[in-house]
Amino acid sequence: MWNRVGTFILAGAAALALSPALPAQTGQQQGSAKPAAASAPAPEHDLSGVWTMHAPPSQRRFIGATYTAEPPEMTAWGTEKYNANKPSNGPRTHSLKDTDDPVLKQCLPPGTPRIYLQPFPFQMVQTPKEIVMIYEYDHTVRQIFIDGRKHPDDILPTYMGHSIGKWEGDTLVVDTVGFNEKTWLDRDGHPHSDQLHVIERFHRVDFDNMTIDLNIQDPKALAKPWVSQLSVQLRPSWDIMELVCTDNAAFEDFEK
Amino acid sequence: MGALRRKRRENSRLKLIGDNVKNTRVSSITLFLVLVALAPVAFAHHGNANYDTTKSITVKGVVTGFEFVNPHVQITWDAKDDSGATQSWQGELTSPNRLSRDGWTKSSIKAGDTITISGYPTKSGAHEIWIQKVVMGSGEELPTGMGGN
Repeated sequence: MWNRVGTFILAGAAALALSPALPAQTGQQQGSAKPAAASAPAPEHDLSGVWTMHAPPSQRRFIGATYTAEPPEMTAWGTEKYNANKPSNGPRTHSLKDTDDPVLKQCLPPGTPRIYLQPFPFQMVQTPKEIVMIYEYDHTVRQIFIDGRKHPDDILPTYMGHSIGKWEGDTLVVDTVGFNEKTWLDRDGHPHSDQLHVIERFHRVDFDNMTIDLNIQDPKALAKPWVSQLSVQLRPSWDIMELVCTDNAAFEDFEK
Repeated sequence: MGALRRKRRENSRLKLIGDNVKNTRVSSITLFLVLVALAPVAFAHHGNANYDTTKSITVKGVVTGFEFVNPHVQITWDAKDDSGATQSWQGELTSPNRLSRDGWTKSSIKAGDTITISGYPTKSGAHEIWIQKVVMGSGEELPTGMGGN
């Protein structure tokens, strides 16, 4: 029995080693790179529904923790902050005991756009005045005002920022400013300042698929804009469930 | 095959079992050293520093506990080692939110169920596994992958 099972495992490992990026060989749980059948056309100016991250194979190595394969170009200020941060993800992994990641250590809101890196879906509820985004992770909420208002003059800094959106053709362009400095840009510990300015472009490609172009700007922390594209898929049968960050506190003892 | 087994023992960092890795008993602990080229799954586990993701371990036993709760679903089970002594094991999976989208419920596993669990062992050798695969006594495999997609 050893020989037979051992051979099977070695064969499986060899297959994985030769073709690391093929989703079909890593099992159905990662989903397929393309939808099985052509999707219906996107409804006009309607982003409603529950969406889940569905990254292409080229992104899967890093998209759980950051936005690009290459790190962003940072200013001297940004680099100093980055070196001081102690993430529990990415190339400089610290243990849960030693990390100072505000999400892991204090259950602080992840902020925008880091909320997209939490591996849980989000729902977009659309009204004439606003699109309410309900992210399953810690029931984090963002309001994207689409009633034509501008950002307030004397903005009150928040974790998620103040978001306004307008349609440019089929693309919803969302502009977010007014951040506090209590969040990280990603799980790898890249920092931002209160000058953070995030532009998202939501484009519903067809009924089931949407791309979100991210343009992350911060003249104090980033030497140039940090650009990426997220891919999400509709999940009509899913509901947003509850997930409370402070439940993690009871779990920390489990990982010695 | 003999040379390969010797190399595996030399490379093994787990001191759970004696020199002979026998798989003659159904309930024995079986250790496979598998070189996995893939990095850990894209959604990096926040505590993965504790696990050796270059190795794989499979343990069969009897379920003693099943916690279908956030942040991580946990399974505890008893397994016999080569000497016949009972050892307690625990393993963690992803959030119940994600597993429920793969069909799991809080009743999917019960104390007393026979179970075979595979996954990444700890670096310390503790009886803990970052679970990658669950097979019930019936032979049914419960999907454990990133079902949140």
